[in-house]
Amino acid sequence: MTRRFSRTLVVNDGDGGAVAHVCCGTCDHPLAANGTPWKPGAKLVASPVTGLGGDRWIAGERVVLRQFVCPNCGALLDTETALPEDPFLNDVLTR
Amino acid sequence: MIDPITFQIIRHRLYRVVEEAVITLKNVSGSAITNEGHDLMVSLYRPDGTLLMGGVGFLHHLTSAAEACKSVQRRFDGKIYEGDVYLLNDPYTAALHTSDIYLIAPIHHAGQLVAWSACFVHVYDIGAMSPGGFSPDSVDIYTEGFSSPGIKLVERGEMRDDVLDTFLNMVRSPEMVALDISSMIACNNVARERMLAMIDKYGFETVDAACAELIDQSERLLRERLRELPDGAWESRQYISVKDEVFKVVLKMTKQDDELVFDFTGSSPQAPYAINCTYWASLGGLFAPLFPLLCYDITWNEGVIRPIKMIVPDDSIVNCTRPAPISVATVGAIQSVNSAACLTIGKMLDASEKYKEEATAVWHANHFAIFMFGQNQHNREAIGILTEVFAGSGGARTFADGVDLGGEIPNPISRMANVETMEAGFPLRYLFRRRFTDSGGPGEFRGGTGMEFCIVPHDAPQGGMHYVVSGKGTDFPMSDGLSGGYPGAPCKYIWVRNNDADASDRNLDYAFAQTIDDMPGEQESVSWGVYPLLGEDALFVQWDGGGGYGDPLQRIPGAVLADVSAGTVTEAIADRVFGVILDSDKQAVDQGATETRRQEIRSQRLMEAAE
Repeated sequence: MTRRFSRTLVVNDGDGGAVAHVCCGTCDHPLAANGTPWKPGAKLVASPVTGLGGDRWIAGERVVLRQFVCPNCGALLDTETALPEDPFLNDVLTR
Repeated sequence: MIDPITFQIIRHRLYRVVEEAVITLKNVSGSAITNEGHDLMVSLYRPDGTLLMGGVGFLHHLTSAAEACKSVQRRFDGKIYEGDVYLLNDPYTAALHTSDIYLIAPIHHAGQLVAWSACFVHVYDIGAMSPGGFSPDSVDIYTEGFSSPGIKLVERGEMRDDVLDTFLNMVRSPEMVALDISSMIACNNVARERMLAMIDKYGFETVDAACAELIDQSERLLRERLRELPDGAWESRQYISVKDEVFKVVLKMTKQDDELVFDFTGSSPQAPYAINCTYWASLGGLFAPLFPLLCYDITWNEGVIRPIKMIVPDDSIVNCTRPAPISVATVGAIQSVNSAACLTIGKMLDASEKYKEEATAVWHANHFAIFMFGQNQHNREAIGILTEVFAGSGGARTFADGVDLGGEIPNPISRMANVETMEAGFPLRYLFRRRFTDSGGPGEFRGGTGMEFCIVPHDAPQGGMHYVVSGKGTDFPMSDGLSGGYPGAPCKYIWVRNNDADASDRNLDYAFAQTIDDMPGEQESVSWGVYPLLGEDALFVQWDGGGGYGDPLQRIPGAVLADVSAGTVTEAIADRVFGVILDSDKQAVDQGATETRRQEIRSQRLMEAAE
C-alpha cells in the first residue's frame, strides 16, 4: 500500500510486515525506513542562491539552496535554504 | 441546550459585529497604514478575556489581545466599569510592539460584564527614537517610545483628558495619533452597541450559551481535523540577517493524534537589534498561519487555541527578556515565526490526500517596513509607511500558482495604496512600480511574484525626506518552497546616490529612468537604519515572490510560455530552471527540445550530486 508523504514522496508500506519505506514519488526508489530522516538517502545538490533563479537573485556568499534529488531518476524531492554548517531539516511521518 | 438555528444566527451576528467594527475603524482613521494597508485588527472576547470571535486584519494579534484583556482584568480588578476603555501597548505584557496600540473595552449588560471588544492600529507615531515606531537603531525598550502595560483612557464613558494629553505629549504628529485613538474608540463603541442589540434580542443567557458552545465547537472541529491528518514531525528554519549578523528561528512542529506542538528550541539567543519578540508575540505569530490554513471553516476562538502547545526558549529571539529592543518585531522574529509555522503546517497538509489542497508554500516572508518622514509638499510634517509592503506575494499551492502580489498569510485583507495616494501625501514621485520578473519561486506551480519600485523626491520644500528602513531578506531568500519548489527571490533595498555622481554623468535623462542601472549614482544597500532621500537620491526596493511548489521540471511547458509572454519569467530561467525551450519567435514551446533539456537537467543534478 502506498501513502502520500508529499507531492514528491510516498510511503510504501511493506507487504507482510516488511519495513515501510519513504520512496521517490516518481520512480518508487526507496530512500529510508519510514519514521527516520529520508534526506540522507537522497543525493544532495547544494547551489549558491546567487544567480540560481535569475540574474537578480543576489544573496549572501555562503547561502545555498539544498536540493534533495532522487538518486535513481533525478527528480527534485525537496529544497531548503541553508548555511553549510546547519543540519538538514528533517520531516518524518509516524502514522 | 441552544437550538441549532439560533446558534447559527448568533454565530453569524458575532462575525458581523466584528466586520461592522472594522468598517468603522477604517472610516474614522486617517492614516494610510490603516485605511490602505489594513494594518488593523478587531476581535471579541469572553468576560474572562478568552478569544470569542477573531476578526480579520493582522492575525498575529488575536491571541495577544486576549492576553491583553486578561492582563487588564488582573490589573484593574474591581475597578472595571461600564463605558471604560483601556490602552495597552507594552510588548512584555501582551502587545507585539509599542506602535501597535490595543484599545480594549468591557461590554456590560444590565450591570454585568458580558464580553470585551479589542482592536488595534499601528498608530501614526509612538514617540520612539525613529518616526513611525520601527526603530532599527534602538538598543532597548526604553528607546522605543510610549509603553503602557495598561492604562484607563476612558472611565465610565468620559475621556480621561489628563491621560490622553500625557500620551499625545509624547508622540510626533499628535493630531494624527489622536485620530487613530478616536477611530479605535469608535470601533469599540460600534462593537458594544451591536453586541448589546444582539443580547437585547436573544437574551443574555441564550447569547452566552451560544458563545460557550461556539468555543467548544471550534475545539471539537479542530481536534477532529487534526485526527484526520497524519502524525509526524516537520521542521523549518528562517534566517534574519542584520548588519552581517545572522539570527535563526528554528521550528519543529510535532503532530500526534489531536494535538500540535510548536517547539522553537534551537532558535537564536535574543539579538542586540530590535527584531526580537516576546512569548505572546511568538504565540500570535504561529497562530497567524494556523487560523487560515487549518481553520478556514472553523470560528477563530479559544477553542482553536486549546489543542496547541508552544515551546520557546527563554532569552531567545522568540522569547526575549525585558528590556531587549523589540520595535521591529512584527517584521522581524514574529514574521519569521509566522513563516516557519506556515511551512510546517504546509508540509503536514501536503502529506494528507484529503487536505493537500489546503497546503501552501510560504508567502512574502520578508515583510519589511519603510517609514517616510519629513515635511511634505503641503508644508506639513508627514510620517507614513510605504504601503507597497502589504501587497505581498502569494505562495504556490498544490494545484495552482501563487497570486502575483497576492497579499500575506497573516493578514487576509492587506493591500497597498495606489501610487497617486502615496504621491498625494508625500513629496515623492514613482519612477516605476511593477511586478518583479523571476521573483516567484520556481516550481511545478510557481510562487506569485513580488514587486519592484523606485521613488525620488518631488516638489519637496526641504529637498526631500528621510526614511526608516527595517528590511530583511537580502542575504537569504525567505519565502520557502514546498515539495521541491524553490524559494522566492532575495530582496534589495538600494539607495542610488545620484547627488554624489560626477557632474558630467548627471543629466535629466534619469529623471524618468526605468531601471536604476540607467542612473549615474553609486548603488548602496540600505536595509537597516535611517537614510536620506534628498535632491537626486533614489530609493529602489525589490521583494521576494512566494515560494514555489513541486519540481520545476514538472511545470506544464505551456504555463512557462505564458509566464515568459507575461514577463513574469525570463527566457533564460525558462531554459535553465524549468527546462522549457521556446521556438525562435517565442510564441510556442519546442516540445522535443524541452523533453531533451529536462532529461539533461535531471542527469546534471545526479552528476553534480556525485561530485
